[in-house]
Amino acid sequence: MIKDILVSLFHFIILVFCQIFLLNNIYFLGFINPMLYVWFIILLPFATPNWLVLILSFILGVSVDIFSADAGFNAFICTLTGFIRPMLLNFFSGNVDNVTHTRPSSVSLGVKNFLLFTSSVVLIHHFLYFFISAFSFNEILQILLRSVLSSVVTIGLIILLDMVFFKKNE
Amino acid sequence: MENLLRFLKRYYFVFLFFLLEGISVYLISLNESRQSSWLISIANNISGTFYSGFENINSYFYLKSKNEALVKENKALRQQLKTSYVRIVNNIHQEDDTIYKQRFSFLDAKVISKTVNKRNNFFMLDKGAESGIEKDMGVIAPNGVVGVVVKTTQNFALVMSVLHQDSKLNVRNERTKTTGTLVWNGYSYGIGQIIDMPASILIKKGDTIVTSGFSRDFPEGIVIGTVKDFVKDSGTGFYKVNVKFAVDYNKLENVYVIKNFFKIEQDKLLEDIQNQEETL
Repeated sequence: MIKDILVSLFHFIILVFCQIFLLNNIYFLGFINPMLYVWFIILLPFATPNWLVLILSFILGVSVDIFSADAGFNAFICTLTGFIRPMLLNFFSGNVDNVTHTRPSSVSLGVKNFLLFTSSVVLIHHFLYFFISAFSFNEILQILLRSVLSSVVTIGLIILLDMVFFKKNE
Repeated sequence: MENLLRFLKRYYFVFLFFLLEGISVYLISLNESRQSSWLISIANNISGTFYSGFENINSYFYLKSKNEALVKENKALRQQLKTSYVRIVNNIHQEDDTIYKQRFSFLDAKVISKTVNKRNNFFMLDKGAESGIEKDMGVIAPNGVVGVVVKTTQNFALVMSVLHQDSKLNVRNERTKTTGTLVWNGYSYGIGQIIDMPASILIKKGDTIVTSGFSRDFPEGIVIGTVKDFVKDSGTGFYKVNVKFAVDYNKLENVYVIKNFFKIEQDKLLEDIQNQEETL
C-alpha cells in the first residue's frame, strides 16, 4: 500500500517534470504537442477508489497548469479524463488478476487491451484539450489534425516506456 | 433525510466530478479575464521562479549564438550613431535637442518560458511591474515583433505572442505603404497571415512587412517578416498574404519591452471621441 503510494508519487513528479521541461519544448513539425503526463492517470493502481482517481487527476491538471500559461484547461480536461477512466478500465480490463498486477500495463492487461485502453484515454484527452483551447468550430480540421498527430506521438511514447519498464516484471 | 443521504452516497462520484470541473472553469475564467487575481499571480510567481532558475542554467548553452546576435545588433546601432553621419547642410543652425521629444523607451528583458506549438502561445519575461512593465506594452526582439504584454506580477510579465488566436496587429507593406492586419492561423510558427490588404496595389514576393505605427504599442517600421506568397480574394478585393516571420519564435531569448510615453494622451483622445459618439 505504502509502496504503491510512493511509486505513484514518483510517477507524478517525473511525468510533470518531463512534460514541463522536455515535452513542452518539442516543436516537431511545428504543432505537435505530446502530453505524456496523461500516463499518470492511466498508470494509477487498479485498487484506487474512483473518487481518488478524480481528485488525483485534478491535482495533476492543476500542477501542469501552473507551469503553462493556460490556467485551468489542463485541470478541466484531466478531471474529465479521470471521470471516464474507471468506465474505460472496466471495459478493457476484463478479468485481471489484481493480486499479482497492481497497475494497468501491457503485461497486466495484455498488449491488445492495453493499446486500446491507452489509445482511447489519450485520444479523448488530447482532442478535448485542443478543442477547448482553440474553442472554435471554424478550425475543426486543424484541431483534429493536431489532436491525432499529438496522440500518435503520446501513445508511441507510452508504449515504448511501458515496454522498457514493465517487461522485467513478467 | 435518509433518502437524501442515500442519494448523495450513491451519486457522490458525479457530484465530486462536477465540483472539480466547476473549480477548473473558475480557474479558466480567472485567466481569460486577463485581470490580475491573487490565484493567478501566485501561480505565475511559482512558475516564474522555477523557470528563471532553469533559464539560468539553460542560457549557458546558448552563449555563443547570443553573442553573435548582440554583435550584429551593436553593429546596426553603431551605424545609426551621430558620429557615423556627416552633416551636409552647414548653413542652417539647429538646436537639435529641443526638436525631438522622446516617445518610446525600451527595456530589456529575458524570455524565461515560451511555447510555439499550441494554438494560443505565450511568453514569460523575467521582469514585471517592479521594472515598470505594464499591461498592453509592445514586445520586440532585436529582429522583429514578438507580442503584447497581457498580464504582470511584481517580478514577471506574461506576453501574448503574435502566435495567438486573438493577436491582431496593424501592419504595412514597406514598399507600397498599403496596410493590413496580421493574424495567425495556427499551423506553422514560422508563417503568419495578413488579411484585408487592398489588392488594388500590386505586392511582390519578398516585400518587407513592418508595423504600421497606427498601433499605440509599437513604433513605426519594426520588421515583422517578408511576403512568402499571396493570393487575390476576388470576392472581397483583398489579398490573402502569407508572411515569413523574421523572428524564430522558437529560439527567442532577449527581448525589449516598449514604453510609449504618449499612450495616456492617445488613449484619452480615443476615449473622448468615443464618449462624444455615445452622447450624439
